Amino acid sequence: GDRLNGFENGKTQLLCLCVRLQVVLKIIKHYQEEGQGSEVVQGVLLGLVVEDRLEITNCFPFPQHTEDDVDFDEVQYQMEMMRSLRHVNIDHLHVGWYQSTYYGSFVSRALLDSQFSYQHAIEESVVLIYDPIKTAQGSLCLKAYRLTPKLMEICKEKDFSPEALKKACIGYEHMLEEVPIVIKNSHLINVLLLDLQEKSTVADKHELLNLSSSNHLEKSLQLLMDRVDGMSQEIVKYNTYCRNLTKQQQQKQQYLQRRQQENTQRQSRGEPPLPEEDINKMFKPPQAPPRMDTLLIAGQVNNYCQNIKAFTSQNLGKLFMAEALQGHSS
Amino acid sequence: SNGTKMRNIEDTKRVVRSAKDKRFEELTNIIKTIRNAMKIRDMSKCLEEFEQLYRAFLKSKTIVDKEGVPQFYIRLLADLEDYLNQLWEDKEGKKKMNKNNAKALSTLRQKIRKYNKDFETEIVSYKENPEQSAEEEEKDDIGSASSSKSDDDEDVTAKSLMKKKPQEEEKKAPEASKFLKGAADEESESEEDEESEDWGSDSVDSGGESEDNEGAAASLAVVFLKKYVYGDKQPERKKDDRRKRHKKMEQVDEEADEEGEGEEGGWEKVKGGVPLVKEKPKMFAKGTEINNAVVIKKLNEILQARGKKGTDRSAQIELFHALAGISNENNLGEGILVKIKFNIIASLYDYNTNLAAFMKAEMWKKCLECIDELLDILFENSNIFIGENIAEDSENLAISDQPFRVRGCILTLVERMDEEFTKIMQNTDPHSQEYVDNLKDEGRVCGIIDRLLQYLESKGSTEEVCRVYLRRIMHTYYKFDYKAHRRSLGLQGETKSEQDQEESEGEDSAIIMDRLCKFIYAKDRTDRIRTCAILCHIYHHALHSRWYQARDLMLMSHLQDNIQHADPPVQILYNRTMVQLGICAFRQGMIKDAHNALLDIQSSGRAKELLGQGLLMRNMQERNAEQEKIEKRRQVPFHMHINLELLECVYLVSAMLLEIPYMAAHEFDARRRMISKQFHHQLRVGERQPLLGPPESMREHVVAASKAMKMGDWRTCHSFIINEKMNSKVWDLFPETQRVREMLVRKIQEESLRTYLFTYSSVYDSISMATLSEMFELELPTVHSIISKMIINEELMASLDQPTQTVVMHRTEPTSLQNMTLQLAEKLGGLVENNERVFDLKQGVYGGYFNRDQRGGYQQKQGYQRGDQKGGYQQRQNYQRGGYRNQNQSSY
Repeated sequence: GDRLNGFENGKTQLLCLCVRLQVVLKIIKHYQEEGQGSEVVQGVLLGLVVEDRLEITNCFPFPQHTEDDVDFDEVQYQMEMMRSLRHVNIDHLHVGWYQSTYYGSFVSRALLDSQFSYQHAIEESVVLIYDPIKTAQGSLCLKAYRLTPKLMEICKEKDFSPEALKKACIGYEHMLEEVPIVIKNSHLINVLLLDLQEKSTVADKHELLNLSSSNHLEKSLQLLMDRVDGMSQEIVKYNTYCRNLTKQQQQKQQYLQRRQQENTQRQSRGEPPLPEEDINKMFKPPQAPPRMDTLLIAGQVNNYCQNIKAFTSQNLGKLFMAEALQGHSS
Repeated sequence: SNGTKMRNIEDTKRVVRSAKDKRFEELTNIIKTIRNAMKIRDMSKCLEEFEQLYRAFLKSKTIVDKEGVPQFYIRLLADLEDYLNQLWEDKEGKKKMNKNNAKALSTLRQKIRKYNKDFETEIVSYKENPEQSAEEEEKDDIGSASSSKSDDDEDVTAKSLMKKKPQEEEKKAPEASKFLKGAADEESESEEDEESEDWGSDSVDSGGESEDNEGAAASLAVVFLKKYVYGDKQPERKKDDRRKRHKKMEQVDEEADEEGEGEEGGWEKVKGGVPLVKEKPKMFAKGTEINNAVVIKKLNEILQARGKKGTDRSAQIELFHALAGISNENNLGEGILVKIKFNIIASLYDYNTNLAAFMKAEMWKKCLECIDELLDILFENSNIFIGENIAEDSENLAISDQPFRVRGCILTLVERMDEEFTKIMQNTDPHSQEYVDNLKDEGRVCGIIDRLLQYLESKGSTEEVCRVYLRRIMHTYYKFDYKAHRRSLGLQGETKSEQDQEESEGEDSAIIMDRLCKFIYAKDRTDRIRTCAILCHIYHHALHSRWYQARDLMLMSHLQDNIQHADPPVQILYNRTMVQLGICAFRQGMIKDAHNALLDIQSSGRAKELLGQGLLMRNMQERNAEQEKIEKRRQVPFHMHINLELLECVYLVSAMLLEIPYMAAHEFDARRRMISKQFHHQLRVGERQPLLGPPESMREHVVAASKAMKMGDWRTCHSFIINEKMNSKVWDLFPETQRVREMLVRKIQEESLRTYLFTYSSVYDSISMATLSEMFELELPTVHSIISKMIINEELMASLDQPTQTVVMHRTEPTSLQNMTLQLAEKLGGLVENNERVFDLKQGVYGGYFNRDQRGGYQQKQGYQRGDQKGGYQQRQNYQRGGYRNQNQSSY
């Protein structure tokens, strides 16, 4: 009863996400230890709902296991883990999961599917996306997302046909909603942080002022191009489908006209009209390509664009700053 | 009397055969068909033939009653039954059979079971003692064999077929093995037959013998089966067989004695190999006055037997020779002699009924001699007119005041001889001494052609002269004229005698080619001869590094436009010419031309096939046996081959010299196209290698060199392209090898410099030309000119600073990020276009829905749109909408 507090019938919006610093550090550590390059690490978030906010108080990683490790049961492991945590009096309620990302590429079918199953089973679930690259550049990047109710509906229907998506009026912008994150700590920790801030040297913050940009941009562009290609392919697929549909519709129309003519002729001759056949059986509409992938790609492209925009504006600022500094010193 | 043979020499009239022979022949023929059908598992055919056999057997009932059931008949019945039972047992095989066959199998099986009941005792006795029966049967076979010569052809084809697919045959072997075992003796007989073929050269008679035996062996396939299986023990077996053969001959003789004297005669003739010369005196009855008319009559008599069943071809040749001798003895004049000679040569050519088979060495020698003699006569007697157009009845063969007139065409004979020579060369293993020996005959062939050429120049029509010129050209164009080459280099023969020899050996091949070809260009009216002459001429030019003449001739001839309509041999010649042209261009340092000329041949990956230098291993479905035979006939003899490795190396090196700088210049170009797909393929193959050792093959060398060149490292590149291995593999094959190597080094230096500048210009602000000249060991003016060219072509964003002799980079080339952005923009353009298309369709749907006729107009408009530039997207959309509405309105 406690966990549904403020979430009766799912009507209340989740307004805020409180994350403990411990969780953030654990996620970062997980990535540092196990993730590298474009590899992605994942784990489980634990916490509880308080009024209209979700507090994430702890987490644990999904263990890495290889393909040939068939016996390994993930669910079993999670259960075991939560039970153990409960024994040491840690919040053991499953409230979502986290995942690292590579240059912001996370809007994928896999994410959609798992987040849907989470949200379907546990109403308040969120997914935390951690961007290690941006973090390495000097600013922590952690974002929480939930599927919008609209998307939940669609996923529940499992109908990704063009018509269904059109009816649902869903665009790539309305697929995910971001939940604001507040990192909350105990006062003791805050005190420690302040103390550390005092002690830290300027050199530790240098990352923030790094002027190099081409590497990051090139990678982003590469990924962006890849997705644009994907989008092109999807569109071509859709286009073919549309054309086939049109053609068939014409054939159908023709057939109907012919049949009608014949029937009027027969009527005038006093013969009984030809029996109506199941027209849909004769003209089976072509299989419509699922449009969900297109949506996801669009979302991903949007995401990349946002990232690049943010990155470039920041960098531009830095460049101006550097110029000013140079002008000042000379 | 079993063997009433058709080989009666005195009497070529058809012999009335006994009723028994006729009937039995019919039976054996059917049996043969059945056996063939059995071999290919054609059950329906088996059934059909069996029914025929049954009927035929009934017809010959009276004879059978008199003679008893012939053994071969019993044998077939037994074999067929066994075979059917075996097939019946083979459940899997039955499943694979088509419906018709399966049905026929069951019907036939029932029939034969019922039918065989009548012959039970005979079959049992046959099965008990198959050998003896087989032998008896054999004799029967031989009896009818002489008339079954038409089968020879089939057998020969079957034989050559068998050769080609021994594996397949092996598969069939289990089935046939029963047949094999059952016919153990026959098999050895066949073996012997094959032996006699091997020994075929020792006497003409044995040829005749083998012919008989060919018929006797119910299927020659058995021979090959055997050969295949026992291939290793061949010599041993042979000895064995010889012993067996002797034994058998005795046996046969014994049996023959029992059978009757007629047969013995037949056997005697075959085995004893009684020389036919014996019968020569019988040619003319004693005391006949030998004159022209008699000889001509005789000649016609012999001629009539030609091509008929049962005519012994080798005997015929002998007869002609004898006749020639007689007419010579009696001084009947050259006219008749020429006539006979013509016939001898013609029958020599006729000896092989199969077009694919080539002449035996002795035949070939005889043929050459004959033609030589014929030419001798023709040269000595200028009063002989020969020609195809002289009618048979207007011939004048008798000695009179009038000149002789003989029907016949010497040119055709020589052409045929030339073809036979090609065939012999095609069928000889090119790596054997035999090939060298055969090749020595080329001189004689050329000599004959030369003599004919002289003869026809004075007597023949222009058409004939063209034909013989082409023959001459065909024997000249591919040979490198070392003498002329040496002379052009200013090297004289070292001794006086050598010089004399050189001078006496006639003019340069270039001059000959020029004269002959120009005559053909002017006089020829058949397109084919001219085409061939042009191609040979170009080839000859290219071979002797006269690049500009070769190229101009090629361009003037416009052959490139319409060569695809030519017949395959001409196309092969064209391909050879193009390749030679490419190699010539390469030697001259025209890399681009070389690459272009070789591109077509090399890009297909079928250079070997296109040049007629071998067949590619392909699926049997793509090419059946018939096609394969045709293709084999088209092959170019080995001594005319163009070295394929040289060809590929030249191509790859040209591609490297073009492609590497190009790749460096267009590194970031999204729409970069490949100059040479094959070269890229090789590069990829090289990259895929997990462990890169030092290069071994020519290809690996080129790939390694390319990699070095990519880095602008010309020294490494050079050492990979020109080293001892590559010299021996490729470069030493060129006549002017040193000059080619120098050219190559220079090209490598230049292209490496270009590559270096493309690749590394971005890291330089400026670079001194002196440094570059030092790095690439090129003279300063050369470096200057290369860089100037690059700047002019806008390949290099730089300018030359004259006073300091440096290249100053402008750095206007886009960075990789910028390049990527451009790529992205392009991709987005594509995306928009695709999207637009969806949008178009949305409108098209309605249009089509309401009015189908509208589609045409709509599509037209669409076509117009596609031609448009991307920029006016919005504009166009409006226009289109407007158009759509208008159209709709008008259609309402």
